[in-house]
Amino acid sequence: MKEINELNLPEDVKYTDDHEWAKLDGDVATIGISDYAQDQLGDIVFVELPETGSTFDKGEEFGSVESVKAVSELYMPLGGEIVEINAELEDAPEQVNSAPYGGGWMVKIKIADMAEFEALMDKSAYLASLEG
Amino acid sequence: MTAPKKTPLHGWHVARGANMADFGGYEMPLWYSSVKNEHLAVLTGAGIFDTSHMAAVTVSGPDAVALLQHCFTNDLAACIGPRKMPLADGRCVYGAFLNAAGHVIDDAIVFQVSADDFFIVVNAGMGAQIAEHLEGHLAGRNAAVADLTDRVAKMDIQGPQAANILAQLLASPETVFDRLPYFSFKGHFDPSVAQAKAVTLTNGTPLLLSRTGYTGEFGFEIFIGTGQIETLWKMVLEVGGAAGLLPCGLAARDSLRAGAVLPLSHQDIGPWPFVNHPWPFALPYDDDGGFSKRFVGSEALLNATDAPHTLAFVGKDLRKVASGDDASGVYDGQGNRIGAILTCATDMGIGWSGGEIVSIASPHQPADFKPRGLSCGFVQVNQPLPVGETIELRDARRKIQVTITTDIRPDRTARKPMGQMWTGA
Repeated sequence: MKEINELNLPEDVKYTDDHEWAKLDGDVATIGISDYAQDQLGDIVFVELPETGSTFDKGEEFGSVESVKAVSELYMPLGGEIVEINAELEDAPEQVNSAPYGGGWMVKIKIADMAEFEALMDKSAYLASLEG
Repeated sequence: MTAPKKTPLHGWHVARGANMADFGGYEMPLWYSSVKNEHLAVLTGAGIFDTSHMAAVTVSGPDAVALLQHCFTNDLAACIGPRKMPLADGRCVYGAFLNAAGHVIDDAIVFQVSADDFFIVVNAGMGAQIAEHLEGHLAGRNAAVADLTDRVAKMDIQGPQAANILAQLLASPETVFDRLPYFSFKGHFDPSVAQAKAVTLTNGTPLLLSRTGYTGEFGFEIFIGTGQIETLWKMVLEVGGAAGLLPCGLAARDSLRAGAVLPLSHQDIGPWPFVNHPWPFALPYDDDGGFSKRFVGSEALLNATDAPHTLAFVGKDLRKVASGDDASGVYDGQGNRIGAILTCATDMGIGWSGGEIVSIASPHQPADFKPRGLSCGFVQVNQPLPVGETIELRDARRKIQVTITTDIRPDRTARKPMGQMWTGA
C-alpha cells in the first residue's frame, strides 16, 4: 500500500471525495479513479462502463470497478452526457492500476454545468482530505 | 474492541508495503503488489503465505485418542486412503469439531505425532475455544489439552516449485522427501521432541513439515519456532525468486482455496448442521451412509433431515457478487429466493473453453489461452440441486448466472506424488 506521499496526484485534474478525478478539455471532462483508489482496490480485473449517449447527474453511479477484493461503484464527479468510453479497459482493465490518469481513464462527458467542475477539489484539497 | 494482534512477520509485511487488514483478530497482509500475480504464482511457480495467525492445540496422554474420537468428526481408526486405514504416526487428517447440535465450532487438521501425542491446527483465534471444548469433554479421560496460540509460527509454501525451492534449505532433502505423501508430515518444531531431528534447515532449525495446504496446489505447511520464522521466510524468498516464488497475502489464499473447493471456517461451514456439503471426507461415513463411530454432534447430524445444502458453483465469467449485503441471495429459475451466498470469489487462473474449465496450469490448453478468471464459491440453499443446474446470484448491484458444480479449478497439483514434483538433488 502506498504512503500518502508516494501517491501520484497530478495538478491538472480535479478530485472528488469518492476518489474519482476529472480533467477538463473545453466542455468535455475525462473521468477516472485516483491513484489512491486504485492502490486501495488492488488489481482491477473488470470495469463496467455505461453506454455512450447516456446522461448522469453529479453523484450518480455510472459503473463499477471489480477488484479481486470487491466490486466498487463509480460515481459521477459532475453531470453530463457520455460522449466516449474507454473500450480498451474491457481487455486491459489493469491499465486502471498501471496508469490511472492515462490509459486507465474511463469515460468522457459533455459537461452540463461548468460550476460543478469548478466546485471539485484541487490536488491540495484532495491531499488534505486523504490525510484526514 | 482490542487492537489486532501481530504475527512475527508483521514488520516484514509492513516494510514490504503490504495492504494490511484485520483477519481473525490479527493484522494480516491481504496482498503485496498484485493479488492476481500472487494467485497465478501459486499455480505456475510457488508462493509463501504467513499463516502464523492460525492456532494450534495439543492433546496428549493415554486417552488422547479416545478424547479425539469423541470430539473430532473424522474416525481416527478409519480415515487414511480409500481403504480407510487408521491414522498413524506422521499422518494427519482433516475434520471438524461440532457442538451437540451438529454445528461447526471450527474445522481442523489433526496430526499424529505419536500414539499418545496429537498436534491439532485450528483457525485464527480458535485455540482457546477448542482447548476449552476438548477439556469440557474429558469426562475422566486421562488426557492433557494445551493451547499453543502464538507459541508456534507457521508459513505455507504452495505451488509446483515448492519442493525444489525448499530442498535448497533442508539439511537432507532426500531423506525428508522420501515417502512424504499428501496428508503426511515429518519433524517437529519443538527441539525437545524426538521427531524434531527428522527435519532441520541447513542452519539446524527444526521444523514440522506437512504435505498439506489451503490452495489445492502441491506444497507444504511449515511449523517453526516463533523466533526462527523470519529467517526461514527470508531464506525462502532468496532462493525462490528464480523459480517465480512470490510472497502471497490472504486475498490470493482465499481465491485459490475457493477454486480448490475448500471451505472457509465460519463462512462456508458454521452454526448449522455439518451435513449436505462438498466435504463428506470430513465425516466418518461407512458403506451404508451411517457413521463408523459416535461423536459429539453425530446424533444431530443423523437426524438433520431438513438441514440446508451447501453446494459449489462456478460462474460464466469473472464477475462476482457481494455475499454480505442485505440484498444478496440465491434465486432459482422462477425467481424464488432459495438461499444465501457463502463465498463468491474469482479464481484468476481459469476460464471456459469449449464447455470445459481450463487452468493456466492445465497440461493441454487451447492456443493463446489467456483466462481472465471465473467467479466461484459456495451457496447454501434449502434444497438439493443437481450438478449443471443454473441458479442466479444477486446483490444490490448485479445478477449473475452460475452453475452448480462438483469441482472448479482443474489439474490441481496438491495430490501429486513427490517424485513428480521434486526434480532431485
